[in-house]
Amino acid sequence: MIDPRGVLREFGLELSNDVEVRVWDSTAELRYLVLPERPAGTEKMSEEQLAALVTRDSMIGVGKVTAQAQGARA
Amino acid sequence: MNGVHDLGGMQDMGPVQAEKNEPVFHEPWQARAFACTRAMGGWRKWNLDAMRFQREQIAPVDYFRMSHYERWIVALVELMLKNGMVTPAELESGKSDPGSAKLTPPLTAEKAQILVTKGVPESRDVAVTARFHTGERVRARNINPVGHTRLVRYARGKTGTIHMDHGVFLFPDTNALFLGEKPQHVYSVRFTARELWGEQAPPQDSVYIDMWDDYLEPV
Repeated sequence: MIDPRGVLREFGLELSNDVEVRVWDSTAELRYLVLPERPAGTEKMSEEQLAALVTRDSMIGVGKVTAQAQGARA
Repeated sequence: MNGVHDLGGMQDMGPVQAEKNEPVFHEPWQARAFACTRAMGGWRKWNLDAMRFQREQIAPVDYFRMSHYERWIVALVELMLKNGMVTPAELESGKSDPGSAKLTPPLTAEKAQILVTKGVPESRDVAVTARFHTGERVRARNINPVGHTRLVRYARGKTGTIHMDHGVFLFPDTNALFLGEKPQHVYSVRFTARELWGEQAPPQDSVYIDMWDDYLEPV
C-alpha cells in the first residue's frame, strides 16, 4: 500500500515517474479485473494471437504485456 | 480489531517472493483446507465475515508463523468446536465418534461445486438511500472497534473523494457478530497517496478503497 512502485519492482516491473499508479485495495466483496495495456506493434494481430500474449502477471496488474508471446499462460 | 491482519502501510515485511508458473495450490492439503472451509460454510452456521473475524483472532505470533491455509484450518476448527460440529476428542483421535452430530441433509459434491464456483454473495437487492454521491468529499471515520471491521487502519481519519457507488451490500462489522446484515451502500473512495502517506509519496499516485456508508462522514 505504502510503496506500490517498490512492490512492482520486486515483480520485475519498473515504472517511470511520469506514470500514475492507482492502487485498488479490495476491502469489500468485490474483485477487480485488470485489462492489460495493448503493446505497440500488435495492431494486425488476431484475437487469438493477442490472447497468447497475456500472462498471469499482466492480469493481476504487476506486469506488462509484451509483443512476444510468453509461452506459459498460467 | 486493530490486529496484525490489517497490514496496509506496514513496512519491512520482506520482499515479494514472485514464483514463475505458480500453481493454484502448492500442496494437496491446501486444496483440502480450501474445500473443507467452503464445504463447512455450506451449513450456514456462520458467515464469511464471522470466518474472517475468527482468523483475525489467531494470536499475532501464531498468525505470522502460519501459512495462509494453516490459518484457514485453525479458524475452521475453532468455529466447528464452537458450533458442536466436532469434539476435542475427535480432533485428538482424528476419527469421528460413532455418536457424533450428523448434519442433514449431507453436502453432496454437486452442491459443493456450486458453493465454490458461485460463492455466497454479500450484495443485497434492497433499496437503501446512499448518503454520499460520486465526486463528494468524505472522511473515513476514526473508529477502533474490538470486533470485525473492514475499515483499514491506514485510512482512518483521512479525506478522500467518492469515485463510484458499488451498490448495496451487507455490513461486515455487524454480520461478523451475527448482529444483523444492516445493508448499506459500498463506495470506491479515492485517496491521494500523499493524503495517506505524506510528502514521500509521488503526487500523482492514489489508492482506491472500498468503503461502507457507515465508515464515512461528510467533510
